Amino acid sequence: MIKIENLSHTYRDREKEAIKNINLHVQKGESLVIIGSSGSGKSTLLKAINRTIEPTAGKIFIAGEDILSSPNKKVRQIRGSIGMIFQNFNLIERETVLKNVLDGRSRYNNNLNIILGRFSQDDYRVARESLQMVGLAAHEQDRVANLSGGEKQRVAMARALSQKPEVILADEPVSSLDPKLMKEIMDLLKNICDEKNITLISSLHFLDFARQYSSRIIGMREGEIIFDGSESDLTDHDIVNIYGKTRDWYLYGKLGF
Amino acid sequence: MKMLNLKKINILIRKYKNFLVGILIIAVYYWAIKGTDVSLINFTKGIPFMADFIGRMFPPDISNLGRFLAKALETLQMAIAGSTIGALIALPLSFLGARNVMPNKLVYHSIRTIFDICRGINEIVWGLIFVSMVGLGPFPGVLALAVHVTGALGRYFSEAIETADSEIIKAIISTGASRVQVIVRGIFPQVKPLFINYSLYYLENNFRAATVLGLVGAGGIGMELLTSMRLFRSEEVLTILIIMVLMVTAIDRFSAHIRKKITRVEILN
Repeated sequence: MIKIENLSHTYRDREKEAIKNINLHVQKGESLVIIGSSGSGKSTLLKAINRTIEPTAGKIFIAGEDILSSPNKKVRQIRGSIGMIFQNFNLIERETVLKNVLDGRSRYNNNLNIILGRFSQDDYRVARESLQMVGLAAHEQDRVANLSGGEKQRVAMARALSQKPEVILADEPVSSLDPKLMKEIMDLLKNICDEKNITLISSLHFLDFARQYSSRIIGMREGEIIFDGSESDLTDHDIVNIYGKTRDWYLYGKLGF
Repeated sequence: MKMLNLKKINILIRKYKNFLVGILIIAVYYWAIKGTDVSLINFTKGIPFMADFIGRMFPPDISNLGRFLAKALETLQMAIAGSTIGALIALPLSFLGARNVMPNKLVYHSIRTIFDICRGINEIVWGLIFVSMVGLGPFPGVLALAVHVTGALGRYFSEAIETADSEIIKAIISTGASRVQVIVRGIFPQVKPLFINYSLYYLENNFRAATVLGLVGAGGIGMELLTSMRLFRSEEVLTILIIMVLMVTAIDRFSAHIRKKITRVEILN
């Protein structure tokens, strides 16, 4: 489904590479979790996959298409097949839930319709189905700003789902939620992706979550993949390697070594 | 040895800093007052003439009230037309003048320069220019307001666009949206309340500007004021001034009320 070859990226004005020489092959329907401390390159890797940043070197194939060398129109098409959710939801707060979810339909619409705010019956149907899936069908006319954090992330999920995606990228999707909601949101996300056979790639901070919601874990440190395996392969030794020597193990859901 | 001298000078400057600044301020005021012939004596001498002028204004002459009111409405029409045209031109241009939308520096700087020229030249001066181009009447007034507002709103709109949250823009990009779609759905909803607020503020502003535009022959109640003053009809001048003050106050209040409402809705939600 996704094939990444020798991918590197250096942010402008910075000397150190944010990710270096990443090689990764993700199968359809996999549930991949990327772990690593802040600045290890998790987020950069995710953003490179749908080309919302321009990687400085390497190749990325999405369903066989090279997204980095495709023309703009093709890139937009590929992006459309990849839903993305974010730590801070990134919704338009002052608008209604339904309007935000309809943004997921942009790749199926032309510019004029978007300017006039016109959507087809099909768009409405898909948007409402997505809201149903995340349990917010009754809130479609509410303003996003009036919702709780957990509900906002559900709206963001519905926006991604209404794209009818093959892949969902989740960049620290629960980091700004409280612990109870974290579990609720991750359960929902994982279940929907399993049910629809959507490939899920998420970056998570907590080890517990990484173990629970993955079919495969990738550990990153200083821009490189230093662990790639299943939850049962992940040893304490690997964990220390990934996070480095730290006293703050409780931050990652471990009492210490 | 030289280092020591510099140090000494530094200490001296610091010691007498307040004194030096005080002298500088006094010098600037002296220069400004001297250069403009400001004189308390001349002002006092003028008071009787002023009293005479004001005295002759009473009682206000309302025999032409109907015509004055019609002209006041024309001023309002000028303000509405000028503001709307200006805002509609500024709206698309402002996206070209925003750094986060327009990566091409040449286009960006050209648009910003156009805004600065339109905005930098006062409405009255634009009025003079357009009166000589299309003749007397409200039309050159509308053009003058429109050009000035294009510059002013264009600049404020562009700056608002530059403050739009780039993470939300990225979220819209990641749905596969085109450039136009990103502007319409990623940026515009974020800046819409600001745009409405600025536009209403300029409508308010333009009504005040439009009353004065008549003085250069660009239509509205200002033209009536000019005529009455030239014909020494002081009683009419007072009537016109009263109408002006009442209308400006009413429109300021109305617009401020709406703007406050918009802002409050935004904050509450």
